[in-house]
Amino acid sequence: MTYDIVIVGAGGGGMYAALEAIRRNPALKIAVISKVYPTRSHTSAAQGGVNAALANKHKDDTIDLHIFDTIKGSDYLGDQDSITYLCEQAPILIRELENLGAPFSRLEDGSIAQRPFGGASRHRCCYCADKTGHTVLQTLFEQCMRYGIQFFNEYYLLSIEENDGKCQGVIALNLRDSKIHKFEANSVILATGGYAKMYWHKSSNAAGLTGDGGAAALRAGIPLKDMEFVQFHPTGLRKSGLLVTEGARGEGGYLINNKGERFMSKYAPEKMELGPRDLVSRSIEIEIREGLGFESTAGQFIKLDLTHLGAELIMQRLPQIRELCIYFEGVDPILEPIPVRPTAHYSMGGIDVNTSCETNIEGIYAVGEGACVSVHGANRLGGNSLLDILVFGKRAGMEVVERASKSGQPKISDSQVEDQQKYIDGLFGKTHHERYDVIREELGTTLGENAGIYRTKDALTKGVADVYELRERFKKVKVADHSRLFNTNLMQVMELGSMLDLALCVAKGALAREESRGSHSRIDFPTRDDKNWHKHSIFKMTAEGDIAVSDKPVTMGKHELQERTY
Amino acid sequence: MKYETQVPQSFREITFKIMRYNPHLPGDQARIQEYKLTEALGMTVFIALNMIRENQDPTLQFDFVCRAGICGSCAMMINGEPKLACRTLTATYENGVITLMPMPTFELIADLSVNTGAAMRRMSERIEGWIHDPHQDERDIAKLEEPMDPALAEHIYEFERCIECGACMAACATRRLRKEFLGAAGFMRIARFEADPRDKRSPEEYYDLVGDEEGVFGCMTLLGCEDFCPKELPHQEQIARLRRKMVATAR
Ligand SMILES: Cc1cc2nc3c(=O)[nH]c(=O)nc-3n(C[C@H](O)[C@H](O)[C@H](O)COP(=O)(O)OP(=O)(O)OC[C@H]3O[C@@H](n4cnc5c(N)ncnc54)[C@H](O)[C@@H]3O)c2cc1C
Ligand code: SF4
Ligand code: FES
Repeated sequence: MTYDIVIVGAGGGGMYAALEAIRRNPALKIAVISKVYPTRSHTSAAQGGVNAALANKHKDDTIDLHIFDTIKGSDYLGDQDSITYLCEQAPILIRELENLGAPFSRLEDGSIAQRPFGGASRHRCCYCADKTGHTVLQTLFEQCMRYGIQFFNEYYLLSIEENDGKCQGVIALNLRDSKIHKFEANSVILATGGYAKMYWHKSSNAAGLTGDGGAAALRAGIPLKDMEFVQFHPTGLRKSGLLVTEGARGEGGYLINNKGERFMSKYAPEKMELGPRDLVSRSIEIEIREGLGFESTAGQFIKLDLTHLGAELIMQRLPQIRELCIYFEGVDPILEPIPVRPTAHYSMGGIDVNTSCETNIEGIYAVGEGACVSVHGANRLGGNSLLDILVFGKRAGMEVVERASKSGQPKISDSQVEDQQKYIDGLFGKTHHERYDVIREELGTTLGENAGIYRTKDALTKGVADVYELRERFKKVKVADHSRLFNTNLMQVMELGSMLDLALCVAKGALAREESRGSHSRIDFPTRDDKNWHKHSIFKMTAEGDIAVSDKPVTMGKHELQERTY
Repeated sequence: MKYETQVPQSFREITFKIMRYNPHLPGDQARIQEYKLTEALGMTVFIALNMIRENQDPTLQFDFVCRAGICGSCAMMINGEPKLACRTLTATYENGVITLMPMPTFELIADLSVNTGAAMRRMSERIEGWIHDPHQDERDIAKLEEPMDPALAEHIYEFERCIECGACMAACATRRLRKEFLGAAGFMRIARFEADPRDKRSPEEYYDLVGDEEGVFGCMTLLGCEDFCPKELPHQEQIARLRRKMVATAR
């Protein structure tokens, strides 16, 4: 089938792009492809909110302050032109969503409410109670239905096709019957979400955040950027990595080591448990490394103790957290401390694009957590990622409409389709014996140990070697289910392939970057080194399937480099 | 304050009896397959299903995305009741036998996987589940937003919490008998837009959407929806309110 625009991914980023394009030109033929039903996309997990300098709460908030907070938060690795666009568009975006029906929580005067959020100098985060992502996604899907946008749910992106540096469309697998479909189009927007699930049990992400879009981009010759920057949240549940929100510490929870000490006194004597995210994550990691953590079959951890808060307070103010702990750890926080450890939470890196969301191939765009514009640089601020997907989702929608009328007839050849068929058939190979779930588990473990919060040359060298070895074993991976009907097993194997390619970028980038900046902390290079490392990392796939690392300058603006202190 | 601790302490063997059937596979027959595994601390049905798929039977079909009760994709019949697999502890079943079936009234994909998505989209399209306002696109969004009473915003948000899991529809006897019956999630959507001053549809227009036997008048108040909604949405109160409103409009 031929379309004017094909969008891969139906999270907030993909749906905003679809909506903007159809509103600008209702005659366009648009297809949105997603491996899950649109409103099940991961955007729905975002609770906190979206930043915009509406100045409803703090009258002295300005777009300039939002810009500065974001640049500083990025540890000066964000591109200032993109950050400026992000923050300028923010109030317009929020009001547009409001106009489309999003039920934002309100202040007494009826204006949109704003709450404080980490790294922001003013109360700037707009929210819909504790389900902001869910309601934003719902609102966008409603509008897409209103305009009759065509969705292809349970389709899995296999490849991005180009010819002579021009986009021709994508090839996807219909998961229902394992049939291969081509979607020919001059414009493709990749909005496939983040890649932090590669840390597997040490990740707060949903199962599908495996970086498929990034992996397909690499194979198509599109570079990725700043992949070594992965944000860790300090308190994930030990077994599942699910998030215990900051509220637990906000209400007065203690972090304790195996000596029963509130160890944060060593790292942040004043703020204690309420220090910034990266600092708390690093402190927990040091405790564990120094043998002050607790041992269990599910790995080492420290404890988040709420027992002194009493049953009443826990039941009233933290009921969700209690429920989560009982369900996923078998621990009732009223009676016992909660086993926690830092969990991989957000991917700052992604497909390399400019402020117009363009990749190096004409007609191929990328947005959302899977793209790197870059507005988050080395560390994203809470509430800025929903903003990122909305602002740049909309921008990509604008850009493709401009393009749609100007291009010729796209074409995906039969041999291109056959290549993908061969790839799928190959995965069903008979001599294969490696188990995908074992490789996946080992990948998560090596990344957590060697490319986690604290990094060193030795550990990263091991991490890179491990990923290479796992990639070799993956060539012999077994697809145990041979059915062609809704083969979940096949999909999970393909997702593992994506994670392995992107993991190599993460590990190699972290090994190369000999400094500490934002989320990337090298024990052997503990300070920021602007002279040698104030630059983006760029990752390309070689003809042999290896990853080559190079770099690219950061776009500066009116804000000069400064030390980042809070 | 009194509270009950639900922390399971045992590591017993549990048995899953799972309905297996792929309607798209020629000649396939519905059957119950048994799997046994050792229970672990805090094990949910979702965790158990993943263990079964990874260690015993890779062909078993079921849906999940978020594993945290947010996305609504893992609802299934657990010992006869529609529940989220990721939010159901195996320890709640004392005799250690858990029977899993796909939810009725939805198109069966295979085994425990049903197409709730398609049903939800059809439902939303039928009631035109989006803000209707002829002047919506003329508004200047660079200007300050229209004020809204905070309590009203919260009221709308309350309905918007629906995760489209389908449990309310699977629990509904009326819907099991009549596929065209809109179902509780649909009434929640109607209630959501009807409460929203930004939606300019008139009572008559709402009447045309749900003022019949396939809409609110088809409900036999059996309360299945309210009993099983994992988000505890106020189904009966809203259905009753919509009915009164429809009756008033009809007069
Ligand atoms: C627990 C949690 C809480 C968060 N809270 C906040 C918050 O409070 N504020 C904030 O700003 N941010 C928050 N974030 C981050 C934010 O939610 C994400 O960055 C954002 O939602 C990503 O949106 P997206 O549109 O890029 O991708 P997603 O919503 O992840 O959507 C990806 C889409 O791509 C599709 N897809 C992926 N691979 C394929 C493939 N191979 N083939 C076909 N389709 C594919 C998927 O089906 C899906 O539709 C949070 C994240 C987590 C994990
Ligand atoms: S109303 Fe409740 S039970 Fe029904 S679909 Fe929504 S969340 Fe599920
Ligand atoms: S997996 Fe998302 S609700 Fe259960």
